Formats: sequence, C-alpha cells, structure tokens
Amino acid sequence: MNTPPESLKQLQTHFSEAVFSDQRGLIAESVTQQGALSAEQRVGIYRNSVHGILWQYLASLYPVCNQLVGEQFFEGFSDLFIDQHPPTTPFLADYGDGFAAFMREHEAFAKIRWINQVAELEWARHQAWHATNQVVSDFSLLGTLTEEQQLSAQFQLPDSMWVLHSPYAVHQVWLVHQPEDYGGKIPLEEIQLQQDDYIIVWRSERQLQQVQINEQQWQFLSAVRQNKSLAELSEQFQEQVGVLLASAIQHGWIISFRHY
Amino acid sequence: MEEHSCGIGLRFEHIDRILKEQPNIPWLEVLSDNYLNPDSVQQDYLLSIAELYPLSLHGVGMSIGSVDPFNEDYFSLLKALIDRVNPQRVSDHLCWTAVHGRVTHDLIPLPYTDETIRYVAGRIREAQERLEREIVIENVSSYLQYKQSVMTEWEFFTAVVEEADCGLLLDVNNIYVSAMNHNFDPLDYLHAIPTRRVRQIHLAGYEDRGTHLLDTHGNHVTEPVWDLYAQAVKQLGNIPTLIEWDNDVPELEILLAEADKAGSIQLEHAA
Repeated sequence: MNTPPESLKQLQTHFSEAVFSDQRGLIAESVTQQGALSAEQRVGIYRNSVHGILWQYLASLYPVCNQLVGEQFFEGFSDLFIDQHPPTTPFLADYGDGFAAFMREHEAFAKIRWINQVAELEWARHQAWHATNQVVSDFSLLGTLTEEQQLSAQFQLPDSMWVLHSPYAVHQVWLVHQPEDYGGKIPLEEIQLQQDDYIIVWRSERQLQQVQINEQQWQFLSAVRQNKSLAELSEQFQEQVGVLLASAIQHGWIISFRHY
Repeated sequence: MEEHSCGIGLRFEHIDRILKEQPNIPWLEVLSDNYLNPDSVQQDYLLSIAELYPLSLHGVGMSIGSVDPFNEDYFSLLKALIDRVNPQRVSDHLCWTAVHGRVTHDLIPLPYTDETIRYVAGRIREAQERLEREIVIENVSSYLQYKQSVMTEWEFFTAVVEEADCGLLLDVNNIYVSAMNHNFDPLDYLHAIPTRRVRQIHLAGYEDRGTHLLDTHGNHVTEPVWDLYAQAVKQLGNIPTLIEWDNDVPELEILLAEADKAGSIQLEHAA
C-alpha cells in the first residue's frame, strides 16, 4: 500500500486553497524566501497560471460572450467562476458547464439576460462537438414494417443534438460575431433582440451544424426527444407529420428509429 | 537536409492541413488528454493522423504526485487509446495537478524529500502496471521552492526515475527556466541526468516577466535554451526531440522550422 506522506497531504491542501480560494498564507509559510519575490507572490504565480489556463479555455468555449462583455470583464468574471466552480475531472472538455447559469445568477447580467442565452448556445456547440459518434439507420426499412409496427415507431435525434428555444435572437447575435463574412450580416445594434428564436445544434461527421428552425419544427423535434411514437406524433401534428418527419430525416436531425 | 529525429506537438489548428498535405515530419506528440473519448470526432482525427505518423502521447492528467487516488476513468481511457494508436512513448510530468477532487490543469511542483521520492516512485510503478508499459516522466518548470526540500531538483528527479524504473523526458527549456528562477547552473542539472533513462527531449519558449521566467510555450525557443540543448545533444546523443508550442500557436511552417533547427543542432553536435 503506497500511502501518501501526511506532510504532502497538508502541502497540497494548502496549495489548493491558494489556487482556488486565494488564501495564500498557509502555503506561503512552506515556501522559501528568495530573490525579489515574496513567498506569497511566488504562490500567486501559480494561482495566476491556473486561472489563466482556465480563463483562456473558457474564452475558447464562449468566444461570442467574450466579445460581448469585453476581454477584461470576461477574465474577471471567469476568475469568480473558477474559484466557485473549480474543475473536478482531468478532462478539460468537461469544464465550463454551469457558466451560463452562473451568469444568470450574477447581478451584472440582470439587464442583459440575452447574453447568458448566447452562453447556453455556445455550451451546446461545445457539447455537440464532443458527443459520441453514431450510426445512421437505414430509413428505407420503415417501409417494410407493418402499419402497426410503423405506428409504434419511435425516432432518435443524434446524441449531439441540442434543441434550443430562446426569447432572444441569439442565433443572429452569434452570427454577427463570427469572423467569416457572409451576405446579410447586420450590425448588432440593428438586431431586434427580443424575438423568439428556435435553434438546433448538432454534429454531422466532422462538421458542427447550427440552424434556425420554425416553432413547429422545434415542437416536433421536442416531441421526438420525448420518445413519442409515430402514432402520437401523427395525433399532435396531424397532416403535417409526414413533411416534418421527412424533412428531419433528410437534414440528419433524426438518425435512427426503433419499433415494437 | 539529412534526416533527424525532431518532431512537433500536434495542435488542433494544424490537423486538417497535416492530413491533407502530409508534410514530412519524423513524429508527432499528441496531448493525449484531448483525445481520450472513444468514438468521438477528436479521436477520429487522431486515428487518421496515427495512420500517417509515429505518435507519442503526452498528458497532464495522471497527477502522478497527487495524494488523491488515481482517476480510474482517466487510466482506462488512456490505456484504450494506447492500445489503439500504439505510441512510441507515453509521458506525463513529475508534479501534481489535482487534490481533493479539484483539478488545476497545471503543473505544481513537489517537495524534494526522501518520503516524496518513495511515494511518487510507487505511483509511477503503479501507473506503469496499469498501462502495461514504461511511462516517461518529465521535469517541470518551477517558480518556488519548499522549505521542506532537502535535495536539489536533479537529485530528486534522478532518484524518482531510478526507483520507479521509468523513462525520463528531459525538458531543456524547463531546466533553463528553473535555473534562472532559482539561481543554479543548468549544466549541473544536465550533467547529473541518468543518460540511459532519457527517452525524449522537449524544447519550448518562455517569457521573461522581469522578476522571473515564465514557461508559456507561446514563443520561439530562446538562444540560451538552444545552447543548453546543444550541450544536451553532446551528452546524450540524438534523442528524439520535440518542439512544444501551446499558446498563440503559429503557422505550421514556423513549428517545422524550429524542429529543423533542433535537427541541425543534432547533426552538428551528436557524437
């Protein structure tokens, strides 16, 4: 049994307090005084380094939010988030969940709620990119099922898909802040922010996709996500169900089905 | 130019171009922690790269020196990745990165004591058993020294790798950064290294912050580090060498030019 030394446990505990709570006193007592920097300043180099790594990572996850609030504010806000929500796994890609909720709770965002909706969209993009690869069903097999089997069929969205509804025009805001130029790009101040937006984000092979959909498509995909059968979908969407289903399959928004 | 054994770190910004153009690079080092998830697009990219180039896996997630138990998920995913890409080397750092479940994603130094040597060497042996292969341990830059340390960093490093019976990744830039920060002669460090254990060398750029040098991996390798590298090549011979550049990642050509410069030094100075 390889038991860690007690002195090492204590040292790492104190170091961690300095890095994530800015309580440098205890670990500074264990650090040699040398040169122009005090022990606390030397510990501070590590706190700054850890926060710098995580802040830069958060800025890469939330690039539009970073632009919207400005780098200086984003860095300071990230510091608060990092101290209150330090990473808990060695997988850096896991980190950053809850950033939008943390924004929502912070008074600085009370009058600009739409920015945390942009953060939710950016987190959705990150999660979609890292989602597991999946095999697409052969949908022609649907036609070989009995009518009873068809009506019992349930459809699956890609694991990478995020179906978002926002009371703000977050898709347009996101587009405006992309480096690529495209036709119809309008300045942020000309966007009517308060309008319902329905967006889906998913990954197709090695391409991240993000498109606006209409309210009915959003309701349809939400119903599919709830594992509603084709019979239930038909009842909810009536004569529109065929078009909605065919369009979803064609765009890759539905990738598989099962029946009973 | 003759062949040399100097590679570059694979950065995501360059993957599409490397896959498309397949430039002549002896080998690539991969930040393994970014590619661990099976059936992910990240690992798909890596498997495509692995078909074209020899790879080494380099991580920060083992947290070798931590008092926390090893992360089971991390080791099982790393083992699976090793089995898939069959890397030349698997490396991590002589430091700790996490404690009490809080992960810094940074390289925090250890105190240089006999009990730390025994503990950390035991952890490395356990890591090697879990991964069923030798791992290679790298020296880190440091900005402080602990009062409880009773030996030099190179004495500590040497004792750990000998007791753990593992490989050694010599980061020449880190030696230089720590030497300047703690006022020792980098050649004393270099000359004390157990030559037969050195599997790989790292080179990178630091930043001079006035009061200290900071290991940023965000710039060209500096002249004093090139000079120290030449000394290392004289002492060690042609050890596979890697250019690390993690921040403000430049165009691929700049990384390849740095690797060629390291290669020229190998050809000039190796015995």
